[in-house]
Amino acid sequence: MKMNRREFIKANAVIAAAGAAGLALPTKASNLITSSEFTKLEWNKAPCRFCGTGCSVMVARKEGRIVATQGDPDCEVNRGLTCIKGYFLSKIMYGEDRLKTPMLRMTNGKFDKNGDFTPISWDKAFDIMAEKWKATIKKKGPTAIGMFGSGQWTVWEGYAASKLMKAGFGSNNIDPNARHCMASAVGGFMRTFGIDEPMGCYNDMEEADKFVLWGSNMAEMHPILWTRVTDRRLSAPHVRVAVLSTYRHRSFDLADLPIIFTPQADLAVLNYIANYIIQNNAVNWDFVKKHVNFRKGMTDIGYGLRPTHPLQQQAQNADKAGASSPSSFEEFKKFVAEYDIDKAHEISAVPKHKLLELAKWYADPETRITSFWTMGANQHTRGVWCNNLLYNIHLLTGKIATPGCSPFSLTGQPSACGTAREVGTFSHRLPADMVVANPKHRAITEKIWKIPSGIIPPKPGYHAVLQNRKLKDGELNCYWVQVNNNMQAAPNMNEEGLPGYRNPENFIVVSDPYPTVTTQAADLVLPTAMWVEKEGAYGNAERRTQFWYQMVQAPGESKSDLWQLVEFSKRFITDEVWPKEVLDANPSYKGKTLFDVLYKNGQVDKFPLSDRAEGYDNQESEAFGFYIQKGLFEEYATFGRGHGHDLAPFDDYHEAHGLRWPVVDGKETLWRFKKGSDPYAKRAEWDFYGKPDGKAIIFALPYEPPAESPDADYDLWLCTGRVLEHWHSGSMTQRVPELYKAFPNAVCYMHPVDAKKRGLRRGDEVIVQSRRGETKTRVETRGRNKPPEGLVYVPWFDASQLINKVTLDATDPISKQTDFKKCAVKVIKA
Amino acid sequence: MIEILKKAWRILCKPSVHYSLGFLTVGGFVAGIIFWGGFNTALEATNTEKFCISCHEMRDNVYQELKTTIHFTNRSGVRATCPDCHVPHKWTNKIARKMQASKEVWGKIFGTINTREKFEAHRRELAEHEWARLKANDSLECRNCHNFNYMDFTRQSPRAARAHSTALASGEKTCIDCHKGIAHHLPDMKGVKGF
Amino acid sequence: MKTSKKSFAKITALLMLTGTAFIAVGAVAEKTIRGDHFATLRHAPLNTEPTPPPLTNEKEHHGSLARNYPAQAPIIPHQAHKYQINRKVNQCLSCHDRSRVHESKAPMIAISHYLTRNNHFLAQVSPRRYFCTQCHVSQESSTPLVKNTFVDVDKLVEASANKKQH
Repeated sequence: MKMNRREFIKANAVIAAAGAAGLALPTKASNLITSSEFTKLEWNKAPCRFCGTGCSVMVARKEGRIVATQGDPDCEVNRGLTCIKGYFLSKIMYGEDRLKTPMLRMTNGKFDKNGDFTPISWDKAFDIMAEKWKATIKKKGPTAIGMFGSGQWTVWEGYAASKLMKAGFGSNNIDPNARHCMASAVGGFMRTFGIDEPMGCYNDMEEADKFVLWGSNMAEMHPILWTRVTDRRLSAPHVRVAVLSTYRHRSFDLADLPIIFTPQADLAVLNYIANYIIQNNAVNWDFVKKHVNFRKGMTDIGYGLRPTHPLQQQAQNADKAGASSPSSFEEFKKFVAEYDIDKAHEISAVPKHKLLELAKWYADPETRITSFWTMGANQHTRGVWCNNLLYNIHLLTGKIATPGCSPFSLTGQPSACGTAREVGTFSHRLPADMVVANPKHRAITEKIWKIPSGIIPPKPGYHAVLQNRKLKDGELNCYWVQVNNNMQAAPNMNEEGLPGYRNPENFIVVSDPYPTVTTQAADLVLPTAMWVEKEGAYGNAERRTQFWYQMVQAPGESKSDLWQLVEFSKRFITDEVWPKEVLDANPSYKGKTLFDVLYKNGQVDKFPLSDRAEGYDNQESEAFGFYIQKGLFEEYATFGRGHGHDLAPFDDYHEAHGLRWPVVDGKETLWRFKKGSDPYAKRAEWDFYGKPDGKAIIFALPYEPPAESPDADYDLWLCTGRVLEHWHSGSMTQRVPELYKAFPNAVCYMHPVDAKKRGLRRGDEVIVQSRRGETKTRVETRGRNKPPEGLVYVPWFDASQLINKVTLDATDPISKQTDFKKCAVKVIKA
Repeated sequence: MIEILKKAWRILCKPSVHYSLGFLTVGGFVAGIIFWGGFNTALEATNTEKFCISCHEMRDNVYQELKTTIHFTNRSGVRATCPDCHVPHKWTNKIARKMQASKEVWGKIFGTINTREKFEAHRRELAEHEWARLKANDSLECRNCHNFNYMDFTRQSPRAARAHSTALASGEKTCIDCHKGIAHHLPDMKGVKGF
Repeated sequence: MKTSKKSFAKITALLMLTGTAFIAVGAVAEKTIRGDHFATLRHAPLNTEPTPPPLTNEKEHHGSLARNYPAQAPIIPHQAHKYQINRKVNQCLSCHDRSRVHESKAPMIAISHYLTRNNHFLAQVSPRRYFCTQCHVSQESSTPLVKNTFVDVDKLVEASANKKQH
């Protein structure tokens, strides 16, 4: 029997594991082995698999298994630290229930939507997928197929997926779960600066005098960044920290200025600060005159609900939510004048002395101030506004793009920036901040992709929430989900997600390493390689791109998302999917497979296998015969090079511990838009080159109420979110025993008075119920989160307690991002 | 004015002509009981949690903190109220504590700690008073419930058993030395021994 | 189960011989799984509401818990929810600080905790390590729903040493 190299490694790993796991050697009794021949570990770097902080870790390999991880001392982000999740990265791939073979719902050997999951081969899996895809495209056109991806895709996976959908199938119905987390941030950047992603970087944390958290629990969600803020606060006595939130959480443990505000009132507080700055002559006139334009935003823009919803019908401008008109400083001054301290206090319920102190921090010209925000500001029915208003106060005072002065939008996922945003895996986007609606952008993209013009459809596809609605309505019928657990994440699961997936007209494919709630709702499940089982690249919140090698083999027949996407493309020829008139005009493309035109296009297949680093497997490249990751990356990088998004050459990233783009002449950029630190900022001291005239925009935007507020029937606010110990839906971290036991189940955090009023005690089983659905959980009146009276907090990591049955699918009308932080519920004894 | 006082004094010095000695003795005794009882009743009224948290300074700060701790809610439902820990049970000590409390009344009237910020600013000072008092009386109010003689170390966590069977047993340490902040938030602990 | 070195080697050799067959079997060993019980962290249909398990308490362990590898942040082997850690006070350090361990008999915080971001040793705990619970957690007394097959490196080292000897 002959074994190839990979099989041999695998065999050894299996033996070693079997020997070790099954035979339970008494570790203490055996002699200590000190020979380095046996104790030597192979180490290499990889970015952490979890949040958008982008810590680098060192990963140790032995006998084909990952045996240890530790913080990377040479990475600027974390300098040797990781959070509790990071310490257990070694174990995330070894949950006993890893999926090892494709599974199809079948009855009596045939596909049956209500059947049980039955193992099938990859060939059979792709057969049925291709059959469904082709039939659907033939019957309803490309808008009936869709894909839901992730900010946890590697850069090349997102890029390959985007190409397959937009250039291959001619459908823009591809959206990432980053829609749930970063879309409002993107909207904010594009509106204010005309270019996506933060101008500052993490170095701001060692430079600022004041930190303000606007709807961000960094202590739990960005723990390593919090260590840097803590370091600064405790090392430099003059530094102060303000924490704003709708409930008390762990970040308040460091707060000098703790502020609890009424949900949605952040809009009023931000406008009050702008007003205070103007009223107290704290405007940085030199900066504002040279670098800022004023505009007035459209108001009464609705809540991104279904058009039939009464709130949507009442809204005057739901169809032109993102519109704005030119304005002036004087008009802006008048606009914010009504947001005096009384009004801000009335809306927010924040004590006036605290509002005043916060406003003074921003107004003081000598104070270097950094604002952080994440889901509190982004998961907001006025999320884009909230982002715009944050930039307003930094622009009015000129506190931007210099060390320590930074409006900093933190990212949730490890590659929400690197993949979802930069690659443009959104339903309306293309790489390098381009959009499908712009004919010039489509032309540039089609040229780089070497495909005929007219392939990329001009109309934006279905965004995340709309995809679930279209699945339910039977307009989206073939659906592929990769690297996320959207059945557990997406809002209003009862009324939209679950009926959508289980709609008999639809065929749902889910790629995942583990059996999740989403796979349970699927028809076909594809076993997927994860993290260091494949070569990858992520881009974090400070524009840092980081690479890693494949270090181990995935179990069973698991394959990476990249392999799945590219292999699937072989099943289609252009004639089956591209418009006939385009093919007639470009006959040389006829009869080619999508694999040929998208990946074997002379660019993606340019780099031979011999370019790979020695000692590391690469399952995809070995399968396709060329160094596909390098090919995809280099093709993708041509979009941004010379346009402010410059990425370094591929090989550099395997050497460096991350580089922050734009990387020009081998040098990374720390602060963008500032002459001297950003090679693209040339026209003036500050050059906001995303806008044609180099000027950023201050927007006049009002306070508007949330989509749903507590009333007599549903008398509590519900806020959802994460916990430190679990990443997102817990599909990885809940399988690490130490993390599971640190926080085994979700609870309903509640004020003791609210509990007493309802006759509830800590630990009582309760039903959390909204107009849309309910879930069962237990009351927690102690612990890390302390909501004020009238608000409850329920984390969403627990697959057995689906809080998204309760949440509302209202979105920001501009960004289409869901507001997971506000809806009305009641809590009753179960 | 002085004349009136002199006259009053003379009356008080004069033996009674209207009331018998017996009446005066018994009457005085009864009046004494009434007065004494009234005094103690009034005193006891100030020794209730209800009285303590009738001031928002106590209700909004330390009482809220207490609510989340084991001294407020626990498996058996036996709980400590404010005076259990903060007012001595022995009468003389109690009176001494009440004399001290006059300062707190002063603080209340003049609003020394009437906002969260002011309370936080005084937290260390307030805590230090309590630590000093408990240190001086060998944690008497703790020991009213937690009697060392009846502790079963085998029912304690290994860490607790070790500390209690050594330092506490030898008298080297008293409860408050280790158990600061068990019922309330701690102040800034810079320089506090053991922190 | 205790296995002698000899029989271990035998089994290893056997596995070695049947290596490829073993893989082939392993790859298709999956069984049919009921559609509505597929999610192993849920074990219930999606349209039902399972009864949430009762709240658990942090466990008191005797002594420290084994680490999976040297650089793993140690797990807290005792209850810790009552210890206050904030800007003003860190009750963990009242036992685990260098100045306290002789009395508390608790393990001292690792020397890495005295290093700044720039690798300078400080006299006291580095502010970047101040919030202990970002890396260290206690354990509730609940049982994980899914087992983890992570293998301790010592076992791999021993297995490969044995393999070499025979």
